[in-house]
Amino acid sequence: MEAYIKGIGIVSPQNTFDTPDFLTELVEHNSKTLRCIEPSYKEFLNPILSRRMARIIKMSIAASSVCFKDAKIDMPDAIMTGTALGCLEDTEKFLVAIIENDEQFLTPTSFIQSTHNTVSAQIALQLKCMNYNFTYVHKGFSFESAVLDGLMTLAEGDAKNVLVGGHDEISEKYYRVCDRIGYWKKEEQVLTMDLINMESDGSIAGEGASFFVFSNEKTENCYAVLCGIKTIYKPESNAEIETKINELLHTKGLTTNDIDLVVYGINGDARFDKTYNNLKEGIFKNSTATYFKHLCGEYQTSASFALWMAANIIKRQTVPNAVLIGENKSKVIKNVLIYNTFLNTDHSVFLLSQC
Amino acid sequence: MDALIDQLKGEIIEQLNLEDLKKEDIDNEAPLFGEGLGLDSIDALELIVLLEKNYGIKVANPADGKKIFQSIRTMAEFIEANKK
Repeated sequence: MEAYIKGIGIVSPQNTFDTPDFLTELVEHNSKTLRCIEPSYKEFLNPILSRRMARIIKMSIAASSVCFKDAKIDMPDAIMTGTALGCLEDTEKFLVAIIENDEQFLTPTSFIQSTHNTVSAQIALQLKCMNYNFTYVHKGFSFESAVLDGLMTLAEGDAKNVLVGGHDEISEKYYRVCDRIGYWKKEEQVLTMDLINMESDGSIAGEGASFFVFSNEKTENCYAVLCGIKTIYKPESNAEIETKINELLHTKGLTTNDIDLVVYGINGDARFDKTYNNLKEGIFKNSTATYFKHLCGEYQTSASFALWMAANIIKRQTVPNAVLIGENKSKVIKNVLIYNTFLNTDHSVFLLSQC
Repeated sequence: MDALIDQLKGEIIEQLNLEDLKKEDIDNEAPLFGEGLGLDSIDALELIVLLEKNYGIKVANPADGKKIFQSIRTMAEFIEANKK
């Protein structure tokens, strides 16, 4: 199973929306919450419709619109999205209203928009797309499940172009709740660009909406080939992780020596970053090492940011200095591996190659 | 009545997220649905909740809705007549 990445649209805490720039002008948030830099929505949404939409819906519609433009398609044959939290702000809004109003006076808008599949539904409504439409909600495997569905749908020959997306938003209440269970750093101030050097527990919170058109047709503008994906739930040892990575590589006749660059999900959390360090200093010691969560923060579908980054690195044959760990060891970047984990529970591996 | 109309406009803008509108943009006599403000059925539900929550008035008979929600002025008149 493989797919050509034909188009991408992404709204993130960096200047990534509809721009030819690739991480040269960075936004240093220096905060424990990295919120997205939102575009102007007037070009993408009728104000009458957008007034009822939460941030994450608007971000996703804008990102998917840019993705279709980039892929030069008007209508996908299927829509698959992954989200762990859904439309969190609207969910919180109506739950708060239930409590504050003693279960009376519940208004419909935030309830209607709060379901996890609102984003893929709204994209379909905008396009008048009646094709297959599915939303995966599997915590740290949400985006990965959507990707897997996209690959399988293409492999079965049911579709030529599918839209695959990952989206999650951060809210103040979610941040506070997760802070109590140790998700985030306790330091008053965090220099986000220095995240990799932090030795304390916890990470920084992030969010984003990333959309991709996967296709079984190769075109001139394709970014890369997504050759496969593997998920590993609660691996018991580094050996198990390495075995699973090798299994994925072997499906394409590759070994760890063929991997030119690895994108690690290093998030500055001393409890979990050792998993990445073992790979970086072990089986991938000869590969160029990069990371990304200092740019977008930690969230359950953050692998979608990594996929955007990896695809761009392959297409442009450029590794931005901001994501490099150590030196760039690769003159040509042909094969890229993404290794990411959310809370050391949900681990995922993506393999990409040059078209 | 003018004070109530002004207050009502502010509440409607907030409740229905009419971010691009200011109070002075809303004509007291213009239709709320279809033409005029262009509100829809979900907005109608929001307005019913607004009347109950902010003014303690229940719209008991749905058939009355068309008359009550014809314009800002008709809404204000209904509130004035039924306020507890």
